[in-house]
Amino acid sequence: MSSSPTFIGAVEIGTSKITVFIGEYNGRELAIIGRGECQSRGIIKGTVVDYKAASECTHSALELAEREAGERIDLVYLAQTGGHLEGFYNEAAVSVKAADNMIGAEDIRTVCELARAKELPAGRLVVHHIRRPFRVDGRLVPNPEHLVGQRLEVGYWTVHGQENKLADFIHVIRGFNLEVRELVLSSLATGHMITTPEERQHGVLAIDIGAGTTDFALYRDGVPHTTGVVPVGGTHITNDLSIGLRLAEGKAEKLKHRFGRAAVVTRDKAEKVWLDGNFAIGDRQFSRHAIEQICAARTWEILEIVKKKLGNAFTPETCSAGVVLSGGTAKLAGIAETAARVFGVPAHLGETPAWVTENLRDPGYNTALGVLYYGVSSRAERADAPRRKGGFLASFSRLFAAN
Amino acid sequence: MSRTQDSPPHARSWRDIPQQLKPRAMSAGGRRRVWRHSLRSVMAVLAIVLIGVVAWGVNEALQDPAPGGAARAADATPVKEIALATDGVLDQAWITRTLALPKAATLMELDLGKLRERLLASGQVHTATVARKFPSTLAVTLAERMPVARIMAQLADGSTRELLVARDGIVYEGAGYDPAIVNSLVWLDGVKLVRSQDRFQPIPGMEPVADLLAKARNEAPHLYATWKSVSLARLASDHELVVNSTVVEQVTFSAAVDFFRQLALLDLLVDTGQPLKDVNLAIGRASDADGSYQVPVTLATPPAPGTANPPAKAPAAAPKAGATDQPAPFFIPFNPPQKKNPREL
Repeated sequence: MSSSPTFIGAVEIGTSKITVFIGEYNGRELAIIGRGECQSRGIIKGTVVDYKAASECTHSALELAEREAGERIDLVYLAQTGGHLEGFYNEAAVSVKAADNMIGAEDIRTVCELARAKELPAGRLVVHHIRRPFRVDGRLVPNPEHLVGQRLEVGYWTVHGQENKLADFIHVIRGFNLEVRELVLSSLATGHMITTPEERQHGVLAIDIGAGTTDFALYRDGVPHTTGVVPVGGTHITNDLSIGLRLAEGKAEKLKHRFGRAAVVTRDKAEKVWLDGNFAIGDRQFSRHAIEQICAARTWEILEIVKKKLGNAFTPETCSAGVVLSGGTAKLAGIAETAARVFGVPAHLGETPAWVTENLRDPGYNTALGVLYYGVSSRAERADAPRRKGGFLASFSRLFAAN
Repeated sequence: MSRTQDSPPHARSWRDIPQQLKPRAMSAGGRRRVWRHSLRSVMAVLAIVLIGVVAWGVNEALQDPAPGGAARAADATPVKEIALATDGVLDQAWITRTLALPKAATLMELDLGKLRERLLASGQVHTATVARKFPSTLAVTLAERMPVARIMAQLADGSTRELLVARDGIVYEGAGYDPAIVNSLVWLDGVKLVRSQDRFQPIPGMEPVADLLAKARNEAPHLYATWKSVSLARLASDHELVVNSTVVEQVTFSAAVDFFRQLALLDLLVDTGQPLKDVNLAIGRASDADGSYQVPVTLATPPAPGTANPPAKAPAAAPKAGATDQPAPFFIPFNPPQKKNPREL
């Protein structure tokens, strides 16, 4: 590994905020040396709707991060989300070529190419090919090379998105004279930050509930099995509070943060809470029960949509490690209990890894941290490629790799 | 579901989206960043140029005798050594004597221009380079002239002195040469030396003389060894050089004809064993009949009738009538023998 430090930028352009991290990687450890954060404008549900506004706030966040880091970056890893992202599964199988049935690199390459060869509709571009484990005569193997078998199978979960919407994000970054080195699926970035390898091996569902979208990644056998994006999130709850309680969106958001709960616990329907609590003119009282009811209903709804979208892929039996929640909306009290009831498996809030400093231990940062971690691991893998094939960083990076 | 491998189609990836820079799509922050980057690049280039200029300036300051700067650092150390590099015969003693550096002089006190002039004044030095080599060495590099002839000159005080003449006509005293080499040089005659201040002006027309002498020394050393002097008296008017030797009293060469051919003719004439007094190689002519070449030759003693080699052809010129007390010139025809190597004498 090289001892000279490498500066890596990670950008998450969300509906509520834009987060930029700049990491310094010296070949052994990663230090976050710059953070830029800016309230998001021109982005709705993971889609750029106002290019100028989106550019300005993204560039502000990038400038802040660069200023704090005191370093100039040339390329970034960009988190990708949005309702336009979809996925499908495609698999292929080949008969092993060699007479002695020993699987060679050529067999692996062929089966992988075939499994990825599915054509997309016009205007759709591949964002990720996520490989599931190989099967040799029906048994799961992580690496089939030199194993003996007659039939080699592999499947890919291919995530694709709308060309125009992907291009918009890339142009926003390019407008700051930065190159987008890699698009990283937000659900995978978050999933790898909040779940452990053991959980992924046993089966776990990582859900990142943001402001505009909810990203999820279902892991089985240690690798991502299914990913998806639902174009609803925290703003959905805020909107309902705003409509139901006849409030401005800003005040509804404030109310949600102060009194919102994902499950109704207040029995006394007459219990009131003050909007501001400062007894100023315009301060109003609201029923706590009503607030909780609205929040719980919408949270339940969001989780139900996720469950419905997962379909047969999710069963409590194949997800024994339960559900792990993240994202800004996951800070809503009681959300883990609601998730547990919806999915029928244990649920808990995702914990940020120990190496993350205290001021960054917030569910809202998990995606950007995951993207940064992906950037580091891909660098580490590139540096170690001739020497090392294993390792935690490398295995994380390989999940996003084409093969 | 086993499939065949028939170059599977590849789906388009997000990497197919071009990432070129579009100025119109840039925000103010983006433009600022690009400007800052460009400015930084320009500054970096300017810094490199500035460093280069400063380095050049320092180098120049060290080379120049001007006082100040880095030069002052070497002021305190006197010159300890004169490093001489030459392509000739001048030695350390000569350079020390000629430069005559003051005792305890430092490098920065020396006027390199004057020292160089002092070296060039000797005439023997063709080019000279004098450089400071810090902390205490004076580096002198010389290219010397080589003598082609010698001349006896009368000095201002009336005394005479033997001087050397180089190919470019420079007359100089000569130092460090082996006396045997100097004694083997031919004397110059028919030259009027012109004094200019404390030295003689260069002798014009020395190039053909140098060519003749070099050709004779290299191709016919046995002839060259007999040569005593070369006269340039008729060079300007007739393009002729007159050589005085111990074998032939006077040999006239044409400066306009190949010296090698003329030397070959002279060699053949000498080989005939005739006592030659005067050979004029400048006005010979070729015979139309058999291609032989004829030159006027004056014998020291005219041959008795019938004893001379009977010419195959009739002599082209008869002895002058009435010149009985003077040896009369006549033509000796000869056919150069056919040689395998035309350059072989």
